[in-house]
Amino acid sequence: MAELTTTKLNAESHLLLDQPLLRMPYELSRRNQKTAQRYVENGTKDLLTTLAATTKAATKSASPDATLTSIDSMISKMQGLKRKLESLHEEEVKIHRSNKARLQHLQHLYEVQSLVDVKYDEWSRIRLSRLLVDYLLREGYSQSAAHLAASQGIEELVDVDAFVACHRIEKNLREEQSTTLALNWCRDNAKELKKVGSMLEFELRLQQYIELVRQGHVAGIGDVYMDGEADGMNGVSLGGAGGETKLVEARAHAKKYLSASGDFDLLGRAAGLLAYKPWDDVEPYASLYSSSRWDHLAHLFLTTHHNLYSLPPRPLLHIALSAGLSALKTPACHSAYTSSSANASSSTTSVCPICSTELNELARNVPYAHHTKSIVENDPVVLPNGRIYGRDRLRLFNEKIGTERGWVRDPVEGVKGDKWRESEVRKVFVM
Amino acid sequence: MAPPPNGMQELMEQVELFEKTANLSASINDVHNTIDLLTTARAKIAADPQTAPLTLAKLQDPLKKSLEAAQKDIKPIYSGLGKYGKALDKRFKDKPLPTAENDALSSHPQLINRAIAMHLLREGEFSVASTFIQEANRHPPHAEPTLNTPNPYLNESWEKDIAEGTFNSEKLQEQFAEMYHILHELRQEKNLGPAIEWARARSDILEARGSNLEFELCRLQFVCLFSGHGTDGEDQLMDGTLHGPLQAWTYARREFGSFQRRYAKEVQKLMGALAYHENVPESPYGNYFSNDTAWEEVATSFTREFCSLLGLSADSPLYIAATAGAIALPHLLKLQSIMEKTRTEWTTQNELPVEIPLPPSYHFHSIFVCPVSKEQSTDQNPPMMMPCGHVIADESLQRLSKGARFKCPYCPSESHPRDAKKVFL
Repeated sequence: MAELTTTKLNAESHLLLDQPLLRMPYELSRRNQKTAQRYVENGTKDLLTTLAATTKAATKSASPDATLTSIDSMISKMQGLKRKLESLHEEEVKIHRSNKARLQHLQHLYEVQSLVDVKYDEWSRIRLSRLLVDYLLREGYSQSAAHLAASQGIEELVDVDAFVACHRIEKNLREEQSTTLALNWCRDNAKELKKVGSMLEFELRLQQYIELVRQGHVAGIGDVYMDGEADGMNGVSLGGAGGETKLVEARAHAKKYLSASGDFDLLGRAAGLLAYKPWDDVEPYASLYSSSRWDHLAHLFLTTHHNLYSLPPRPLLHIALSAGLSALKTPACHSAYTSSSANASSSTTSVCPICSTELNELARNVPYAHHTKSIVENDPVVLPNGRIYGRDRLRLFNEKIGTERGWVRDPVEGVKGDKWRESEVRKVFVM
Repeated sequence: MAPPPNGMQELMEQVELFEKTANLSASINDVHNTIDLLTTARAKIAADPQTAPLTLAKLQDPLKKSLEAAQKDIKPIYSGLGKYGKALDKRFKDKPLPTAENDALSSHPQLINRAIAMHLLREGEFSVASTFIQEANRHPPHAEPTLNTPNPYLNESWEKDIAEGTFNSEKLQEQFAEMYHILHELRQEKNLGPAIEWARARSDILEARGSNLEFELCRLQFVCLFSGHGTDGEDQLMDGTLHGPLQAWTYARREFGSFQRRYAKEVQKLMGALAYHENVPESPYGNYFSNDTAWEEVATSFTREFCSLLGLSADSPLYIAATAGAIALPHLLKLQSIMEKTRTEWTTQNELPVEIPLPPSYHFHSIFVCPVSKEQSTDQNPPMMMPCGHVIADESLQRLSKGARFKCPYCPSESHPRDAKKVFL
């Protein structure tokens, strides 16, 4: 009875890790549709205006050539629109194909009734591969991810392209210290970002401002040196033209992009940058000038991106493994004593996954599983050294190693260990 | 009420609708029509420039219509997506995206990477593994401290090996390559040679572990020779019926000597079968020679021995742990929501607060829960057996006895706590 309850598979509650699998294609479809709509709307508006203008010009007896040129440009615009829609359509077909594969994959789980079914085993292996690819993509190991996905034939079930694109932007911020790609991304997703009240674009614009001010100050130094007036230069009074232009540009930039925020505290600090140079080492300006802001931006971008695509903040592998390590862990897994029931020293037991090299250290800090009842082998007996075994397993082991009749050896100690008379083996009661 | 058990059917139907009708092909057609209209008009004007104003004026309406159609034809996609989104929300209602709570792993990315590398190797994904090890060595991961593990650098030394590229994947890869080579020979080629060679080289260790692997392999070899599969070498000249049994007999005389002590009975049986070589299936030895699963069985037991000798479990720990995790998640989630509702906190730091019902195949160690205190035994609080044979935890023993003779809580016998004996499960 107990066995039935622990092996029954309830697909409905089992699909906790799989929501992102379906969210991604959905979000991609939505974006695709919106882009298409934007293209068509803009194309329509554009064409109708041009047509009206051309008609008007033609009635006012424009040269036939001009009319034809204008029609040609309308045709080529429409061809452009058609090409764009066709490529969106290709994308759409691809998304639907992958979405279908994902739905089919999840549907398979509904056809499995038991956790000990071989089919569940197969399904769960595919899931592990998915989780691994997800992990690799998040860590930026895109080559490995693509390689694994291809080798397992699960390309439709993972989002390699989306993550590669995401990482290009993250790298652009973190390593190349450039806001270009991230700002393009903000533009493409402007509506959605506004809806969730994202601060990403503001932060990027702020960084652009900081960089302009920094360039202004650095250029200013050169000017000052050339002027030979290194002394008495404090605050905003900068000498050189190069530095000054940059600072003017910075102010204009701030007015255009930052002033609307209403965060006067921050605006005050931003304005203060004009007075404090990057090397002045005065807070709070030093932290605005700090290069660690790029890491902050990269991180902010990632969170915003994952949020927008309904991707969980941490790799799903972490979530599955944390739960799994705890569910499997027993006090014996990090014990100083060899466990009688699962160890590497005798062929009558298999090595416990938590004791295995791969996971042992990883599991050291997680809590162990809760049990309310002892779980021991059938008909337990105890050897004079205190080790407890199921009677059958002890007998089987001793038969296999060819212990003389009437004697027993401890499976953990093996043939080289002590040997006792069978009469010394006692029955033990574990309740 | 549980949702109708139609699985992913509803979502699937919607996607099929997208594929069939609700897609951009209609709009593309509309744009194509627009282009046709324009091209026709252009031809007309080119042929007769006089008609330009009229042609253009006439073009106005159809052009507008065809472009409006293009916009209208996107609508079904929009509404379809709306429907699909709602169905998706419904499907995953009460199933929040898993949160990052209790993530003890982010602080040990090196260990995760090592586990993944080993997983890939043991699954035989050698080329993926080498791509991964290269990429991971080029870009070592950054540890992020999390709630449960405040100092990620605590155990730096053992995390260093992969970070510095000294993780000895080559050796491991060599070992697993050998394993896959042997398994391939076993399963696909039905060739026992490499497996027997491997087992023979480790004869002593395997014997000490109580493993029958070597004998099982040799026995299968004998059976193969007997039934004429797998030729042992040169003597092709023998005549048909006797060929197999004779080869088997030669093989047994040459190889079975070392098994005489441990497997005398088994060897006897095999030799006895030789007498029945003309009709083995009907003989008392029939079952030895008609075991279809024999190959798979030796392959499995070979894999287990091979991994055990490396100190590794037979199935990938990453696989078992991730699967157990997926089984555990619904329970942990339920716990989380109860704790949120009742505003209680998880008080037992070392132990999960709920029992996770895993299938029996996920139980590896025996578990001792003290019947008195209901606590699991640990190194600090080990199980103790009283002279009557009943076992309770050490702390319970101390509490019950207070250092003096006491009665076992489960039977009438009395004993002194110093007569209790530490036992190992």
